[in-house]
Amino acid sequence: MKKLSAAGTHLFLIIVSVISLFPFLWMLIGMTNSSSDIVKGKFSFGSMLSDNITKLLDMTNLGAAFGNSAIIAIVGTIGTLLLSSMAGYGFEIYRSKGKNRLFGVLMLSMMMPFAAVMVPLFRLFSKMGMLNTPSAVILPSITTAFMIFFFMQNTKSFPRELLQAGRVDGLGEWRLFSRIYMPTMKPTYAAAAIITFMNYWNSFLWPLIALQTQDKKTLPLIVSSLASSYNPDYGIIMVAIVVTTLPTVLIFFLLQKQFVQGMLGSVK
Amino acid sequence: MGSKNKSSLMGWQFVILPSALIILFSFYPMIQSLLLSFQSGKGTVYHYVGLNNYIRLFSDPMFKQAVLNTLLYLIVQVPIMLALGLVIAFLLNMPKLRFKGFYRTAIFLPCVTSLVSYAVLFKSIFAVDGVLNQMLMSIHIIQEPVAWLMDPIWARVVIIAAITWRWTGYNMIFYLSAMQNIDPSIYEAASIDGASKIRQFFKITVPMLKPILLFTAIISTNGTLQLFDEVVNITNGGPGNSTMTISQYIYNLSFVYTPNFGYAATVSYAIVIMVAILAFLQLKVGGEKE
Amino acid sequence: MKKLLSVMLLVSLTASLVAACGSTKSDSANTDKSNGSTTKSEKVVAWAWDPSFNGAALKIAEELYKKEHPGFELEIVDMAKTDLEQKLNTNLAAGVKEGLPDIILVNDPNIQKYVTSYPNTFADFTDKVDFSQFSSYKVDALRIDDKVYGVPFDIGVTGMFYRSDYLEQAGYKAEDLENITWDEYIEIGKVVKEKTGKYMATINPNDEALTSILLQSGGSWYITPENKGNFVDNPAMTDTLRIYKAIADSGIAKPVTGWSEFVGSFNAGDVATVVSGVWQVASIMDAKDQSGKWKVAPIPRLSVEGAVNASNEGGSSWFVLDGSANKDLAIDFLAKTIGGSSEFYERFLNENGGVGSYIPSFSSEAYSQTSEFFGGQAIYSDFTKWSTEVPGITLGMYTQEAKDALKNELPNILNGADLTQSLANIQKLFEQQVQ
Repeated sequence: MKKLSAAGTHLFLIIVSVISLFPFLWMLIGMTNSSSDIVKGKFSFGSMLSDNITKLLDMTNLGAAFGNSAIIAIVGTIGTLLLSSMAGYGFEIYRSKGKNRLFGVLMLSMMMPFAAVMVPLFRLFSKMGMLNTPSAVILPSITTAFMIFFFMQNTKSFPRELLQAGRVDGLGEWRLFSRIYMPTMKPTYAAAAIITFMNYWNSFLWPLIALQTQDKKTLPLIVSSLASSYNPDYGIIMVAIVVTTLPTVLIFFLLQKQFVQGMLGSVK
Repeated sequence: MGSKNKSSLMGWQFVILPSALIILFSFYPMIQSLLLSFQSGKGTVYHYVGLNNYIRLFSDPMFKQAVLNTLLYLIVQVPIMLALGLVIAFLLNMPKLRFKGFYRTAIFLPCVTSLVSYAVLFKSIFAVDGVLNQMLMSIHIIQEPVAWLMDPIWARVVIIAAITWRWTGYNMIFYLSAMQNIDPSIYEAASIDGASKIRQFFKITVPMLKPILLFTAIISTNGTLQLFDEVVNITNGGPGNSTMTISQYIYNLSFVYTPNFGYAATVSYAIVIMVAILAFLQLKVGGEKE
Repeated sequence: MKKLLSVMLLVSLTASLVAACGSTKSDSANTDKSNGSTTKSEKVVAWAWDPSFNGAALKIAEELYKKEHPGFELEIVDMAKTDLEQKLNTNLAAGVKEGLPDIILVNDPNIQKYVTSYPNTFADFTDKVDFSQFSSYKVDALRIDDKVYGVPFDIGVTGMFYRSDYLEQAGYKAEDLENITWDEYIEIGKVVKEKTGKYMATINPNDEALTSILLQSGGSWYITPENKGNFVDNPAMTDTLRIYKAIADSGIAKPVTGWSEFVGSFNAGDVATVVSGVWQVASIMDAKDQSGKWKVAPIPRLSVEGAVNASNEGGSSWFVLDGSANKDLAIDFLAKTIGGSSEFYERFLNENGGVGSYIPSFSSEAYSQTSEFFGGQAIYSDFTKWSTEVPGITLGMYTQEAKDALKNELPNILNGADLTQSLANIQKLFEQQVQ
């Protein structure tokens, strides 16, 4: 019985994994094929890889775009994690009527479709003289009700006795946060980092509007302009897509250990 | 009582800066957009129309269609995705499972794909000559290729499948990270008492994860009501307008049609109101205290 | 505390550094500009959406213009077409001039929409270019209230590309495909399907390309010149939808769901004909193994009065922003090249396969060349000949709204609903949309 259910579990997970991974395989295969083979659905590796890479490098300034994307995603993620966890901690640990009301209002901000605030936001950044800078891309989502809410919900299971113990040791409020809360919440930070990095890295609509010159463009903007020509070359697009996808996969590999740490500790 | 008073004063230092940033970068534009929702016109040529835009909503067949489509996605897709994500997270959290690192990565990966690849991919899989049709025909489930994206019902199914494919792993991450806060000895004790895995799932995991379940439910509701990328890139709202969402309608009103930013703002506020009501209900049902 | 402080410090430092980098960069860009203006600014920025087509055209124009104006400089910013439209709308709606280029490419159906929605934004070209040298239907699209707002660029004069080998196999010669009606086309399609097993065409109910081609060939459009719905009491519309349904019902059309599938279907040799704009030549020639097997004939015509065997699919024009710092230079640049140089159009055709509407270039060598791929046919001289027959129509302001209203009802029409009733529904839906 036990063995059967274990086999069932694996079968289920294998099916889900195959479905999930299939597109990635297709992407890797596509990278090595010519555009017309990709359109025909050729499902085997070809010999066009170096051709596609050379053409892509000729057509776009991939390195600069990669750098722009990286600055935005890294600075943005660090800032978001810090600010949102602070707020989540404050709202949840020091609950009060006033703070609850404030949070309720803040929640409204994530319910507005972005297309509707884009024009006023653009005007705002123009007034601040920050258009066409990485800051313009980073700032609007450096704190989101979504991330604050995420930290709040996770803080609900945070053992508050730890704070009490810290107070007895004479730690101040900020130190309680940085010395006790932050290390304890590592898995939450790891999850938040992955999600936030991914959001910044893949963000499209706002960077498109806020960044204006060719040298400031991020990777998704490059991919989008490649894909829209009258006669798109899918081989080149596939290479660009792989380059765009790699860093987020890497970040996931780096951070996912945090999810299992607790578990490993218990199994030994 | 004393500690309550204290906590109402304390903690503001953590909250002020992030709140101020949200107010500046979200509420300031939102208020501008609210003012705009009482105007109508073309591009920069517009005039005050009072509540006319709001009245227009109720007689706008496109808007009604978009709301119906969006609600359909919400009712069908969100529960499937959350349940699937939770079950997978629970399985991956079992201490003795092998290859969990591989599964975890594989299942998470779809949500890191960029929009373009996602679109290219799903269109090609569900194409008339696509991989799916070829597979189904080779095992004789269908005789002739199905034109998935041309049939209103199938097109909706494809959209739901696509969102589920992309976002299940995303929700799984939230569940997995929250599960790390559950003391493993609780499961061990339950196992010793002879509780089955299924029983453990419902009696330990689900209640312990309630805050995060509530979180994902609200986030997914919000995300679905603002659904845009998937639909625009896979079906572009078609066939007919059978897969068009509210967000796509807002986008069309602003950037595809002769721009009427005022009416677009009005439609946006319709979304805000809908999400706010649903989130409030979910918080109530989820037993969140005031 | 220390740790936290240091982290916060780091973040704010990085953030301010980033901001500083950004602002100094944009500052330097500004000073560049002002420096430039003291030595007479000769730099023009343009937005375009396909580096291998309209972007390439600008490069040719730049080269030509530089011969007389050696100091001239052109910066081309490439982005996707929808991205460009969105950026432009956001900038103009926000009233922010910063970051806007001097020159933009505009898709023809958007012309009236932009000029009306953002008044005093686009430069008047009426006296800058000799518009009598361009195909009149192209200039008609640019004229609003007696002013012409841009320089005509590429056209999408349509033809019926066909596989001569398939049609021969089905018993048809080139003459059999000239001057036919759509009903005859469908009959030919049935024979082709029967004899060769190949589809005659593709059909995509999510795409309005075919209905647009049919309507314009009948001298009609989705909306009237007064921007009212043009669905009821419009014989061209009725016949267009009748033919559309007949094609769908006849089984001669292979269903496709997107652009790449559409292109894939003829590259793979699945279809015998492709009715499309002249720019499709490039995609058709991608299948190098099919060289010599293709030909082009005029498109079939509607069975209504005034219908012709010529139409147009797509096309775009160049606009100059009225508020741009280098407006006069930008206008002069466009007028002297894309607005009046036969050499430009010859090179554009030779290098990028682009066809314009500049009549003097039509008699050039480039336009009379024969194509081996198309069995020795002088395809471009045929296309330009047809381009003079394309009925001029007003694209109006609400083309997209009208197309979406039609799309909403199209499934019902294909399922056999009463056409008169359906057209009334579309008209009603459109009028509700546009208020």
